[in-house]
Amino acid sequence: MSTIDYTQELPTVEGSPSAQSIDDVISKPLDTKPGKLWKVLITITSLMLLAGSGALGWTFYKGIGVWGNNNPVGWGFDIVNFVFWVGIGHAGTLISAILFLLRQKWRTGIARFAEAMTIFAVMCAGIFPAIHTGRAWLDGYLFPYPNANHIWVNFTSPLLWDVFAVSTYFTVSLVFWYIGLMPDFASLRDRTTSKLKKTIYSIFSLGWRHSSRHWQHYEKAYMILAGFATPLVLSVHTIVSFDFAVSVIPGWHTTIFPPYFVAGAVFSGFAMVQNVLIFVRQAFDLKHIITIQHLEKMNQIMLLTGTIVGYAYGMEFFMAWYSGNQFETFTFINRALGPYAWAYWTMVSCNVIFPQLFWFKKIRTAIIPMFILGIIVNIGMWFERFVIIVTSLSRDYLPSSWGMYTPTIYDLGILMMSFGLFFTLVLLFVKGLPSVSIAEVKAVIEGAQPSHKGGHH
Amino acid sequence: MENKMIHSVTAIFNTPDEIIHASKETVKAGYKKFDTNTPYPVHGIEKAMGIGSSYLGFFTLFLGLSGAAFALAFIYWVAAIDYPLIIGGKPFFSWPAFVPVTFEVTVLSAAVGTVLTMITLFFKFPNNSHALHDTTYMKKVSSDKYGLCIVSIDKNFEESKVKAFLSSIGGKDVETIYYPEKKAINPFDPKFIMLLVFVALVVSGGTYFMLNKLLFMEPFTWMAIQDRLDPQSNSVMFADGYGMRLPVEGTVARGHLPYEFKGMNDSAVKVIPNPLIFSKEVVAKGKEKYNTFCSPCHGYYGKGDSRMNGQFPNPPTLHSDKVRNWQDANVYHVIFNGQNAMPSYAKQLSTEEGWSIVHYIRVLQRSQNALDIDVEGK
Amino acid sequence: MVYEKKELPAKVQKIGFLLTGIGLVLVLVSYVLDPAREAFNNIIGLMFFGSIAIGALVLVALEYLSGAVWSTPFRRVSEFIASSLPLMLLFAIPLFFMMHTLFHWTHTEVVEADPILSGKTPYLNIPFFIGRTIFVVALFYVFYLVFVKNSMKQDKTKDQKLTKTNVKLSAVFMFFAGIGITVLAVDWMMSLEPHWFSTIFGIYFISATLLAGLAATTFTAVSLNEGGYLVKGLTTDHYYSFGALLFAITNFWAYIAFSQFLLIWYANIPEETFWFIARWEGGWGFVSVLLMIARFAIPYAALLSQSSKCDPKNLQRVSIFILFAHFIDLYWLVMPTFSKTIVFGFYEMGFPVLSIGILILVFYAQARKKNLAPIGDPKLQRGIDFHL
Repeated sequence: MSTIDYTQELPTVEGSPSAQSIDDVISKPLDTKPGKLWKVLITITSLMLLAGSGALGWTFYKGIGVWGNNNPVGWGFDIVNFVFWVGIGHAGTLISAILFLLRQKWRTGIARFAEAMTIFAVMCAGIFPAIHTGRAWLDGYLFPYPNANHIWVNFTSPLLWDVFAVSTYFTVSLVFWYIGLMPDFASLRDRTTSKLKKTIYSIFSLGWRHSSRHWQHYEKAYMILAGFATPLVLSVHTIVSFDFAVSVIPGWHTTIFPPYFVAGAVFSGFAMVQNVLIFVRQAFDLKHIITIQHLEKMNQIMLLTGTIVGYAYGMEFFMAWYSGNQFETFTFINRALGPYAWAYWTMVSCNVIFPQLFWFKKIRTAIIPMFILGIIVNIGMWFERFVIIVTSLSRDYLPSSWGMYTPTIYDLGILMMSFGLFFTLVLLFVKGLPSVSIAEVKAVIEGAQPSHKGGHH
Repeated sequence: MENKMIHSVTAIFNTPDEIIHASKETVKAGYKKFDTNTPYPVHGIEKAMGIGSSYLGFFTLFLGLSGAAFALAFIYWVAAIDYPLIIGGKPFFSWPAFVPVTFEVTVLSAAVGTVLTMITLFFKFPNNSHALHDTTYMKKVSSDKYGLCIVSIDKNFEESKVKAFLSSIGGKDVETIYYPEKKAINPFDPKFIMLLVFVALVVSGGTYFMLNKLLFMEPFTWMAIQDRLDPQSNSVMFADGYGMRLPVEGTVARGHLPYEFKGMNDSAVKVIPNPLIFSKEVVAKGKEKYNTFCSPCHGYYGKGDSRMNGQFPNPPTLHSDKVRNWQDANVYHVIFNGQNAMPSYAKQLSTEEGWSIVHYIRVLQRSQNALDIDVEGK
Repeated sequence: MVYEKKELPAKVQKIGFLLTGIGLVLVLVSYVLDPAREAFNNIIGLMFFGSIAIGALVLVALEYLSGAVWSTPFRRVSEFIASSLPLMLLFAIPLFFMMHTLFHWTHTEVVEADPILSGKTPYLNIPFFIGRTIFVVALFYVFYLVFVKNSMKQDKTKDQKLTKTNVKLSAVFMFFAGIGITVLAVDWMMSLEPHWFSTIFGIYFISATLLAGLAATTFTAVSLNEGGYLVKGLTTDHYYSFGALLFAITNFWAYIAFSQFLLIWYANIPEETFWFIARWEGGWGFVSVLLMIARFAIPYAALLSQSSKCDPKNLQRVSIFILFAHFIDLYWLVMPTFSKTIVFGFYEMGFPVLSIGILILVFYAQARKKNLAPIGDPKLQRGIDFHL
């Protein structure tokens, strides 16, 4: 595979599997009992989830004081984790919606899984704004409904925009994912022998009959959803960036935040999706559907978005000097040389320096290096949010207000819980639902579509 | 065997080219009520079947625009009419700030609405009892085959003719599909009755519990029941049980500093000048307060001719030489310290009001001892 | 035979000469009557002309980088438009002599009295400024030459290695393109108000550049294909992607523009808001509203439906309209520095007309010598076979 033949299209699925083999290989994890590796993994993730939930429970009981948040650093791990998880979710929608609109066929094998990861990531993300309010049981007031206090939410606040954005994102992603699953539920329904599974699949398939008349509307709806999901995903992380950018704090108030955050979200999201896919394709024999070329393309997107993030770092830095605003200038010097410099340099090296290795094809097509780079990128992106939030808050305008932030064991516990939740859900998904879209893959294998008669439809 | 109703006749094809060809032939043969079933969308099949493009998009447009209009109207009503608040010095209807929420609601209503419309209106789902379910035909087209199904309601439908036609265009496994047997439903089925009872118990019990018990338990009291003290309720903290307390001894109300020269000889105040400028507003204020507090005894013109006149001791006139020659601070001292039968007004007047009364008294005094220039209208 | 070279009608060249002539006359007369005003229009002209040429080059690189096939039959159109790149310097040269009229930061007494402006002198000084512009244009031109050399060579040799080289080159180019376009925007437009700054300004102009190049390419490619000058077998399916991209990048521009506005409006810091206030008072508010309608609302509505994206006549109309809206955008960015109250007259028309005239002449000259389709490109057949 050293030279590419540009006259040939990159095969979406390698080999020439039959439609039935697609059915078999994708349904296999659903029909077989969990293996030892799966059991070990889910034990670990469940323990993380449980232990972390303990930290959360303690927080509910005692209050936010058990976290490291203080004055001036009123936002700490809670918001860092929120932005981190929302960012991870964006890769899924990008793969399923944006790559669909760009007619990139290579998305087919990975779209279902990526969408599932989006939903799980958004669930993890949504926990954080809900718990950081202090009295989480009053979170219903976050939504505008007529209440006894005759009071409404503040529509001009970006924190409220977040409520709408994240709930819309979750709902639309869920609907998009479900629509994709409908035909697959039908296929599973028609091939399963277990009566219980048949009932469950029938209910969820809603009675899908694979009718072409229905496929026609279905494809239109899919296109419409993809067309909406694209601006939606851009808007969600933009609105998250508005949380910071509408303020007046140096280091936060800068106009480049919206596209910068979106690029960063795609960057970290692809790293996470890629890493989980590496496991999945190995464990479930899907290497011919999730190929090295597909992983390579993901690495190229990571290189692109990583470069955009680097551009944003450069622009911020340049404008901090160019503006002549001494507070802005100080903020950037403080990031690089102040008490949190270790976090800053971790961020820069993980996000800008290490991903440059993706220029080399050898790295892009080798599993272990790309896996390690994926982890490095996620660490770097987590630290980026940490640097933005904590350093800017710890030292802003008035030196007498400066203060340091140290996370407590409960902060770390809740972070661990979110990872436990995410991976537990991924493991459950992988055994409970088809992790590759059966219908979509069948549509792109060799011989799936009628031969050209030199025309178009 | 019972007389089963025929739903359709189906045939299986092995490749996408075959099903396209078969669809075209079916249209040519004049059949209208037919459908094809494929495990995934086959390109070009709609054209081959002669069906036009989907008009789902119009629903999307309508739903999206209504969502946008509703969101914006609602926000406008909340922010500019129902509970306007000045936030950040911005106008009540700050449209730039309302764009994000409006956008999200638009996407939500358009996307979810389109899907719901498609499922309920276009597909009429959920429908798990369609004639084609649970047939070998469905199993095959669900997996890797392509099927054509001519439905019995077509004008030209005749079972044997259709079967022959399908075989002639290359269809395999041609079979007739019958409507599933309708089983009689017994509304008094014991399992069903038990389910109804169970649901009734759960719903009523749950509602009772929620509305009568849960809502009064922490934390679901939802701010209705709080630990604060409501007005006129008792308190368990104080021995006398009163919730409403007087201010602590020595509490000073704003503008009502205790009179520092109380009980002292008036010589102590002679050196304090009137801190207020003699202006129209001050005098008007002084007049208002004088009329309220001083006129009942001293009369409206300071002559001591109110209805208290004649009672012992008489309220004195303020136009006596003694008072006219007093310093302002002396007058102030009498007002705030009290004198003889006159009580102290320290608790009723703020210091500013006191000084403005002094100015007004000077006006009154001048009015009774006017100079020529006062009359000449200067 | 998939491609037969057909000469462009002489009418095209005549139109080119006519527009260039009219444009030149308007520019010269305007420079005589009001040199300061025309200098500002010169900046608009530089940015307008430059963004079309640079945008076209970015499209060429984008096709190589993404491996897209639908645009391969049209790639030469972008290449010919991009060949005008070095002529940007012709637009810039008069400006190099008018620096004091245009930029506050060139007035040394003003700068010395102002500590903030003095701090910017390492970047905002005339030699470095001129050097940057020349360097960026030269660098882009070098990339252009290598891209096109490989592309033309491939016509004869059909060597796939040339595509591979161009793919690698486009990855490197994208990096420099982002920075170069940002530098041009910051230098020629943002520094007009040296006290103002916005970190997203570079991206704003990048989106405008992409849109300009794409609109010019779309109009030309669709017109040529309808006239049968390109390869045989292209259909309205190929047009769809043009329409979809125009739609998407219009939305992207609106997103960037709105973000910039919202953040500055919301925080309400006078150091930043004065720039937008200047574009609201004195009649400029009319242009601001016009911008929202012409640059977003109208193209959005005109390209929303699937059929509108495939219709050649619609695409031609919308492309021209987008170029017009692009001009309004640049005018809105630049002119309020010149005049606190709105000005619009024949002074403003010279440079856009001149730009279009020159682009047409250069395109015609290129089409004379070279094939209007990359006949040696390995992706060409896949591109022709492409359908939705």
